[in-house]
Amino acid sequence: MSNLTINVQKELLRQPSTIALVGNPNTGKSTIFNALTGLRQKIANYPGITVERKMGTTIINGVLHKIIDLPGAYSLNHKKADERITYETLIGSYDHEEKPDLLLMVVDASNLERNLFLASQVMDLQIPILMVLTMSDIADERGIRIQSQQLSNVWGVPVVSINARSKQCDLQIKQALVEQGVATPKPFQWNPSKPLRQAVERLDREWLSEHTQLPERARPIEALRLLAEGNFEDSFYQYSEEGKAKKLIEELQNTLEAQGENPTAAEVVQRYRFIGDSSEGSVTKEQRDEQTLTDRLDNVFTHRVAGPVIFVLVLLVMFQSIFSWATPFMDMIDMLFIEFGAYVSSSLPAGLLNSLLVDGIIAGLGGVVIFLPQIIFLFLFIYFLEGTGYMARAAFVMDGFMTKVGLHGRSVVPLMSGFACAIPGIMATRTIENWRDRLITIMILPFMACSARLPVYAVMIAAFVPDKRIIGFLTLQGLVFFGLYLFGIVMAVGSAAVMKRIFPTGKPTPFLMELPPYKWPNISSVVIQSLERGKIFITEAGKIIVAISIILWVLASFPTYEPTANDLADMDANRQMSEQMLSTLQLNQSYAGNFGQWIEPAIEPLGFDWKIGIGLLTSFAAREVMVGTLNTIYSIEETEKQLGLIERLRSEIDPETGLPKYNLATALSLMIFFAIAMQCMSTLAIVKRETNSWKWPLVMFGYMTVLAYFSAWITFEWANTFLLG
Amino acid sequence: MIVPLNTTKIGEQVRVSCLNCTSEDTCRLQELGCVEGATGTVVYNQKNIILQVGECRLAITHPLAMNILVEPVSKKKSSNL
Repeated sequence: MSNLTINVQKELLRQPSTIALVGNPNTGKSTIFNALTGLRQKIANYPGITVERKMGTTIINGVLHKIIDLPGAYSLNHKKADERITYETLIGSYDHEEKPDLLLMVVDASNLERNLFLASQVMDLQIPILMVLTMSDIADERGIRIQSQQLSNVWGVPVVSINARSKQCDLQIKQALVEQGVATPKPFQWNPSKPLRQAVERLDREWLSEHTQLPERARPIEALRLLAEGNFEDSFYQYSEEGKAKKLIEELQNTLEAQGENPTAAEVVQRYRFIGDSSEGSVTKEQRDEQTLTDRLDNVFTHRVAGPVIFVLVLLVMFQSIFSWATPFMDMIDMLFIEFGAYVSSSLPAGLLNSLLVDGIIAGLGGVVIFLPQIIFLFLFIYFLEGTGYMARAAFVMDGFMTKVGLHGRSVVPLMSGFACAIPGIMATRTIENWRDRLITIMILPFMACSARLPVYAVMIAAFVPDKRIIGFLTLQGLVFFGLYLFGIVMAVGSAAVMKRIFPTGKPTPFLMELPPYKWPNISSVVIQSLERGKIFITEAGKIIVAISIILWVLASFPTYEPTANDLADMDANRQMSEQMLSTLQLNQSYAGNFGQWIEPAIEPLGFDWKIGIGLLTSFAAREVMVGTLNTIYSIEETEKQLGLIERLRSEIDPETGLPKYNLATALSLMIFFAIAMQCMSTLAIVKRETNSWKWPLVMFGYMTVLAYFSAWITFEWANTFLLG
Repeated sequence: MIVPLNTTKIGEQVRVSCLNCTSEDTCRLQELGCVEGATGTVVYNQKNIILQVGECRLAITHPLAMNILVEPVSKKKSSNL
């Protein structure tokens, strides 16, 4: 193997430059990005798609540089949206990303050959590179020794070996950039065979150079891809004279075959052959017969029986911890916003501005911030488990079951998170690679009974379901409660099965996944990533939620109510109730109140009256608001003795029939409605963010509302006929 | 003797003979190092398969494993590409 002279460039870093991180998934790329940028990062979606763009800044030798964390890729043959972005950015043809001045090529030392495959493709693009070797400790454990200097000589670029788990990994990289610099690699170091090289040159000369806008250095890579796949379906290129190109490619493929080359595999096989041969001088591997840590752990974690059991235990610990750790923070946030609202309310003169600030903006903001602890705790767990390598195993052991219901193994964690709250669950669907699987998971996730449904279920069950013991400690109330959770799961599974047939790209996604070696993750990277998720929620979904809160405030506050002489007299007689009575009267005749009365004919078949109708509108802010709204509405009629809401619901009499207005049928109907309906603006806001379009939140709202309406109707009729009839 | 990957046993060493799947799956397998001629070890086979190829551990579902044709090789041979 001939050694190359390395043309080191150090001057690039003397001026502000754009540095891109490139590498396979699970190589420690994000850890390096987090170490280099800390919290100086900005995460947003690339326009029109749901792939995230991660950008940050870092200072090297007093100069501020931009850092881009390009999506992890196994190759530049861009089959998936994220790999395509990496490819297009590297060739400088992606409008929404800057062309990088230099690259940090992140290479997993414990899996060198596989990682060098992508590196060899990237090096063909002739961008200045520093190769960063990570996971050396795992390589050591496997008996793999890499001579960095030898590797550097083979590929003609500087190589630095770092420990990505060390707190100083950013310093190691900065030092290497300053001392070793970067170098522009030479293309085609992997020595393609003569027939393959000739085919690439002819495709470049006769078609790519004339009919495409690709830069010269990118054309050989594109030619290799076209020869292997012949795929013209990529929408991002406007190929002219496609027919001519197809003919030429067919001819070149036939020529390759006649010369004994397999056109679909020639590039891959030849690159791997070169990597294997060139590794002889730079990589040594001791033959070890004993099992590695990964072998031993996989024997347990992927075991047919133990695997799923361990996974369920991990989830149990995870959700119990989220529940118990997040609750005090949520209570604290709730209290802070109530106190702050009370302070603002008492500091400003009563009136519209006061009400807008307190009931609209502060209440809206509080409604956003309260989700933060759950989101951060869930992501701490997810990033930690992802960093250990366990998540890939969890997806693997659950894949069989999830495939049966039309989903993917990776859907299981987001779906289970939905029991706490749909929002972090929807954000967690980013771990699902396939867009169809991810979309279906998002669309069914709100069926999982989140904690905000609890207050509605609790009030309705306590009021209308008899507290009858069934077997042992099981009561009818407990069973109904359990049944509602089960109902959510059944709805989710059923909807997934239907959607699997509806969505056009419905071909099954085979489960082919790399299982990375187990390792202890970099904790500061886990924390930074979790905080970033929290920031994304507050800044992006928060804007929409506050806007909707203000709209709901307007609906509940206008037109303003002027108390009559009778009201004033009543209030004088019962001063304690006066403020509550006023707010109730205000709500009843507001736009929200009118809305309740307006939709009464439509919701009557479900057993609901206009009071519940108001609740349906106001609970769009958050499901638990339903209980608060009913409390407000019923407070007006309580002049002599104050009954609890549960008692009040039980004793409500229909003036026309003289019978109780609400009964078990109404309660079941309302609970079924709440189990299905998309009564949560925060969820819709996060679905908009995660799907990068208003289309899917609107579809979600539409299908869930229709489904909820008919299910509640059937429940009401069934309960009236069979339970009460 | 060439057999589908799903018929192999845990611990068995195999050489990949033919990737008989869709072009997309074939490309992905190849990029991950599972090229024709590569040898690997079957780490797990309970319907779904885990195949260790070089240093890369691949989880492969049953339907995909049925379309990967392999040739069992003796245990002594190197597992390098």
